[in-house]
Amino acid sequence: MAEATNRYLDICQHCVTKAVRLGAEWCDVSAGAARDISVTIEKTGIKTADAGQGEDVAIRAFVRGGMGFAVVSGSNRRDINNAVERAVALAKEATPDPDFKALPKPQPAAEVKGLFDERIAGMSVDQVVRIAVANLELAKSMEPLVNLSGHVGLTVGEGALASSAGVALVARGTEIDADIEALLKRGSDSGYFYDFDFGRNLDDVQLETVAASAVTGANRFLGARRIKSRRMSLILGPLASYGFLGSIVGAASAEAIQRGRSWLCGKVDERIASRHLTIVDNGLIPRGARSGAHDGEGTRRRPLTVIENGRLVNLLHNSYTAGKACTKSTGHGTHSGSISPTNLRPTLGKKTAAAILKEVKEGIYLESGEIRPDSASGDISASIDFGFYVKRGQIVHPVESAMLGGNIFDLLKRLDAVSCDAREEPGILMPTIRIQDVQIAGTE
Amino acid sequence: MEDLARYICDLAKRRGAAFADVRILHRQSESILVQDGKADKLSTYTDRGIGVRVLIGRCWGFASADSLLRRRGERCLSDALALAKASEPFVSDPAMMAAVTPVQAEDIRQPEIPPNAMPVKEKTARLLEYERTGRKAGGDAIVNSVVSYSDGQREEVLANTAGTLVRTAVSRAVATCLLVASNGHILQRGTEYRGIAGGAELLRRTTPEEFSIRAAEKALALLKARAAPAGRFTVIFHPSITGLLVHEALGHNAEADAVWAGQSILEGRLGEELAAKSVSIYDDSTIPGAFGSYAYDSEGTPSARRTIIENGKLVSFLHSLETAAKFKAAPTGSARADSYDSRPIVRMSNTFMGRGTVPLADMMRGVERGIYLQDGHWGYVFVQKGQFICHAGQARMIEKGELGEPLRDVSISSMTLDTLKHIDAVGDDFEMKMPGMCGKEGQSAPTDCGGPHVRVGDIVVGGHHGA
Repeated sequence: MAEATNRYLDICQHCVTKAVRLGAEWCDVSAGAARDISVTIEKTGIKTADAGQGEDVAIRAFVRGGMGFAVVSGSNRRDINNAVERAVALAKEATPDPDFKALPKPQPAAEVKGLFDERIAGMSVDQVVRIAVANLELAKSMEPLVNLSGHVGLTVGEGALASSAGVALVARGTEIDADIEALLKRGSDSGYFYDFDFGRNLDDVQLETVAASAVTGANRFLGARRIKSRRMSLILGPLASYGFLGSIVGAASAEAIQRGRSWLCGKVDERIASRHLTIVDNGLIPRGARSGAHDGEGTRRRPLTVIENGRLVNLLHNSYTAGKACTKSTGHGTHSGSISPTNLRPTLGKKTAAAILKEVKEGIYLESGEIRPDSASGDISASIDFGFYVKRGQIVHPVESAMLGGNIFDLLKRLDAVSCDAREEPGILMPTIRIQDVQIAGTE
Repeated sequence: MEDLARYICDLAKRRGAAFADVRILHRQSESILVQDGKADKLSTYTDRGIGVRVLIGRCWGFASADSLLRRRGERCLSDALALAKASEPFVSDPAMMAAVTPVQAEDIRQPEIPPNAMPVKEKTARLLEYERTGRKAGGDAIVNSVVSYSDGQREEVLANTAGTLVRTAVSRAVATCLLVASNGHILQRGTEYRGIAGGAELLRRTTPEEFSIRAAEKALALLKARAAPAGRFTVIFHPSITGLLVHEALGHNAEADAVWAGQSILEGRLGEELAAKSVSIYDDSTIPGAFGSYAYDSEGTPSARRTIIENGKLVSFLHSLETAAKFKAAPTGSARADSYDSRPIVRMSNTFMGRGTVPLADMMRGVERGIYLQDGHWGYVFVQKGQFICHAGQARMIEKGELGEPLRDVSISSMTLDTLKHIDAVGDDFEMKMPGMCGKEGQSAPTDCGGPHVRVGDIVVGGHHGA
């Protein structure tokens, strides 16, 4: 593996040298390989098993700040050289951009432990199939007529990054995951839910029980009923809160704010949420889903508090936005030039999720679902896809055909509790969150 | 490419595969991003590779590699055979294949202006012109402008053990425009999308008036719009929303792989009246130049026009070779693979509702208080629950049959079968301008959708305040 990774570093450095010779003022190149195995489940059986392997090289060249970017699959030397030539030619065609200052210099960093697991890398198709079969058997023992679909798979990757600024990095990683949907039918009624598990290390996953968890969820969603339109509390369960908080941190991209298109424009150092909300982005957590010592440009990662007691205190930067703002990159750059959060860690509160639910007079408990604001206006108009009606602290029944609406700032101000207990996936914390007085549209 | 595909198919037969197909693909594309007056990112993507699918006993195996070397193709075949054998003991629903009529064909679509026939400089100049005119139309309110364009060619060779050998080449081009406007308090977005199965002629055909200037006008109008009310309303769908309805709510449910897997609400409903007699819904991949069109699907079945709902009755599903065998139906040419490294799965192409007879003005007259939904943005569906969600970028209140105040950012959610039953008027107009990439099982496929205006009696709207 190390030998192969050094080969990718050689490819990167060859491309950087060639690009500079052709006129690139700055250049960085990533190269790597990945192989994957995926077993597909359909109708509560194995449908197919797939495997793939591929290599790719991505060249980013800059001339007077304009960027040319070329991606080529495979390891054919001629194709790679053509891609370098094309990246430089495109950079020369791009409009000069004085806001581009520089690519990151080499920034030594300690390795983030646990991102590669030899046991995952060494797994055979038979072992992946056995995980899928274990899921089927356990789920069928709970509900013989359940209809399961989904997949179990793994990816093993390695790669390198080199730049004209002197960056020379290698990395490798493993991922294994299962995501399974369960559908139960009782006459004309049906209950549907899913669950997943993901890890970069086998010790972090319990892949054989994912289908069982989905079956439990599907059972809970039998008997959905319509509700009336009114304002009530909204409780976001761990899966729902993860997407909600992710959309907030995503809006804190310095690119979107510098360009003036984020609902968070003009809000830096202002209170945007109730004091219950603090979110830290930390890409350095050992075995974390989105962990790595460096970002896609070679900037050293560091923990970053994005929202502190309701105040927006930091933006996510890559080298371009940092140069434009005369600040330092926060290590959230991707190699294609965009900005991406890593592992999100909301600070936990004092009450348990059960206590938060118990205090609710009337509300919706959202088990899972996309509550994402419009990226510019912050308006939310979302379907309650997997929700329960709550009355006097108790979950009463699942909800059918209902929606919720509002503006993100109103919701964030009315956020009045973050639980002290949370679902934890590698590197990521997913608590329960409560928001008061949300407009719910029902059909009863 | 053809020789390698045929060779692997012959080898698969000798090694005991009941069926095998080989797809070899070569894609090249170029993208230009213009932001705030600068063409600051120009990109190119190239990939090629081979995918080998085999049927052994009761199970499929599939393997791919990003190389066209013969030994890599042989390795893919070995891997695919091993994968199928490893899974075979655990199959509960044995794989099947329709009898394949071998096709030997070549369909090389030459666009009016092939992607590489227009210099990057000329494409960039055109985008900068869109950006400049859009920004000018929006005036000082415009705070961010993004115009992007990409075009490319996909060349594919497909061979199977039944003797099919099809070579196709198709180009596609896409242009998008996003203008963000501010009034000092709120931001609003105006967007426009264009996409064709064709080349750089898209840039010659698309005028700023119908593209970037329209996006600017949308953004400005939204600054004056108020948040939508929440609750149940009679709604009128603009053709873009009708497109989302037929694609998300019905089309995904009509994909026969979902039906066979017991995941669709249309399971067991073939032949039933599911909608008003005025409702007919089609999927047609033969429309010249439409974004979702193609000559042969990824299994070599010729493209076709398929009727899903005819005068309210469910008459057909969309089929691959496998689902056709399982349903004892004819293949419909609906199996599409995103790339060489993905299996063909059942997909839509250009999906639309047929034109009706009711003028929009008559449709409006019948609404005491409702919402006119425009500017279809996105949607998704839970086929298992029969629930779909559509998002409209713009909307207007309807009061006593007249268009009222503008509304912003409205989503609707409903149950597919309820909605089809509640369609009480189908317009005499038609538009299909919703090119996009449809996602399913991790793959994406170019599609388009549309139809006439339609009126639906009762739908829940996710607004900000009580109705």
